[in-house]
Amino acid sequence: MRTIVFASGKGGTGKTTLTALAAHFAAAGGAPLVLADCDVEASNLPIALRAVETGCDAFAGGAKAVIDPEACRGCGACQVACRFDAIGPSEEYFRDRTYVVDPWACEGCGACVPVCGDAAIRMEPSQAGEVCSADTSVGAMVFGRLAPGEDLSGKLVTEVRTRAARIAEERGASLMLIDGPPGVGCPAIASVTGTDLLVAVAEPTLSGEHDLRRLVLLARRLGTPVAVVLNKADLSHSGAERIRALAAAEGLPLLGDVPFDPDLAGALERLAVGEPPDALGDPGRQGTAAVRRIWFSVAEMAAAQGPLGE
Amino acid sequence: MPPLLGRLTVAIASGKGGTGKTLVATNLALAAARAGSPVALVDCDADAPNDALFLAPVEPRRADVTVPLPVIDADACVLCGACRDACAYGAIRILGGSVLVFPELCHGCGACVSVCSPRAITEEPRRVGEVEWGRLSPDLANPAGADVITGRLDIGEVKTPSVIRAARERAQILHRAVTILDAPPGVACAAVAAIRDADVLVLVTEPTPFGLHDLELAVTLGQEMGIPLGVVINRDGEGVADIAGFCEREGIPILARIPFERRIAEIYADGGLVIDEHPEGAAWFTALWAAVRERAEEAEW
Repeated sequence: MRTIVFASGKGGTGKTTLTALAAHFAAAGGAPLVLADCDVEASNLPIALRAVETGCDAFAGGAKAVIDPEACRGCGACQVACRFDAIGPSEEYFRDRTYVVDPWACEGCGACVPVCGDAAIRMEPSQAGEVCSADTSVGAMVFGRLAPGEDLSGKLVTEVRTRAARIAEERGASLMLIDGPPGVGCPAIASVTGTDLLVAVAEPTLSGEHDLRRLVLLARRLGTPVAVVLNKADLSHSGAERIRALAAAEGLPLLGDVPFDPDLAGALERLAVGEPPDALGDPGRQGTAAVRRIWFSVAEMAAAQGPLGE
Repeated sequence: MPPLLGRLTVAIASGKGGTGKTLVATNLALAAARAGSPVALVDCDADAPNDALFLAPVEPRRADVTVPLPVIDADACVLCGACRDACAYGAIRILGGSVLVFPELCHGCGACVSVCSPRAITEEPRRVGEVEWGRLSPDLANPAGADVITGRLDIGEVKTPSVIRAARERAQILHRAVTILDAPPGVACAAVAAIRDADVLVLVTEPTPFGLHDLELAVTLGQEMGIPLGVVINRDGEGVADIAGFCEREGIPILARIPFERRIAEIYADGGLVIDEHPEGAAWFTALWAAVRERAEEAEW
């Protein structure tokens, strides 16, 4: 199976739009595929394709420290042991002499537990989110929902990919398309590791160029080949030139430009309800036509590494 | 507006990426400085920090961000396994008669050090990123002046929250009247590290179904953290998602609307500042600064 991830250092460059439309063209070309939305903090691919949820499993998180106010005698050893600034005196310390944990700062390390002379601290497991399967007009989808404030986004991404791979095997899918998270940190690494091709969705802006540069460095480190799509290409001539120069300097294939086309949102709307997103020969739909051409280039690149369907 | 009394920390966040956090944070920082409050703008999007690209602080200084990594003294270690059992992240394993530490899993919490009875574990700093800070040229941020602080994660590292905390510590040292935190996208630990203890949380959104969905997640996070909220609708007119209706139901004020205009996107694309280059830019961000202050004062009562 081939795995292609759509990623971008910067958020909001058009990853979800491109993933959804690429999935349509791939499916229309007869490649049975599975989709994985690996932006588990803000998953938008299910919205774009109006996915129908078929089932979710709880994703177990780590743990958070909880101090029993009855047992705590307020020595403060836990505050000293905590390196995440998550423990402090309670608001009523001068009355109740207890310490409390700020669950937003607690990383669940448990360093406070053994230092507590009153044995007042226990670690309580937290549910960090869920992994969900869904059906769409173009194929099966897996996505994750991280509970707000949790710190296991990378691990949840791995769960999403594992489940997607299992479904792909069950259904004989030859292609997995991943809608990646923004950034280059933990969830991005978990999304890109072990994929066959990273399609970098770049926008022609100063920040877009800066963030693309960081993403390319990450992909190199992870050994994943990169190809670039320039989205909203006509927004800035100088910005577009900068992205092209970066791609040339780094030896990255430029798959094509997608114009700044408000109709792309309409294309997603049509796709989500099972209608073809592009009416052939309609000149008003340049964006969709551009994505179609780009998808053929991606498929060609993937095929060059060996036939799809293996 | 009267001068600001006391200090104010404003976080700029959004569930979805690319909604305009950097646009709002950079221009708002200038509006606040020009209104007379010394400002520290902290770029907490350590994966993709962009504020300094727009504001170009003069002669920036840098410091490493490190996390403590345990080092095992094999001569002193008795292979009791207490460190392995104490590690909540599975970062310590015992294989073939020696203790192995996996740096990418380690959070640097020190639990292993405290449980090691033969005292065979020491810690050494491991670099995961850097903080860069510098002052803006006076003609950009007169009369009060502004500093830009950037947290930058090293490529291949995963300790984004540690880099964000280090950047915010630098802001505490600078101790400006106003601190503006440009948060990373998402609602996980990195976003929490960026917005924790803020006085006001400004959520930047766009009126698309994606923008609304991710705004709902960010609102949940902000409400659970107990931070007073306000919303900026960016690219107003781009889509038809009912952001205003959602905000009204949740009782969240809309602090500003920035229209969906190609000109704004072009200024931003070329690294320009909307407050200076768009004819209405100064009015938008002066008004937003006033609205943010009003929101903070109202929350205090």
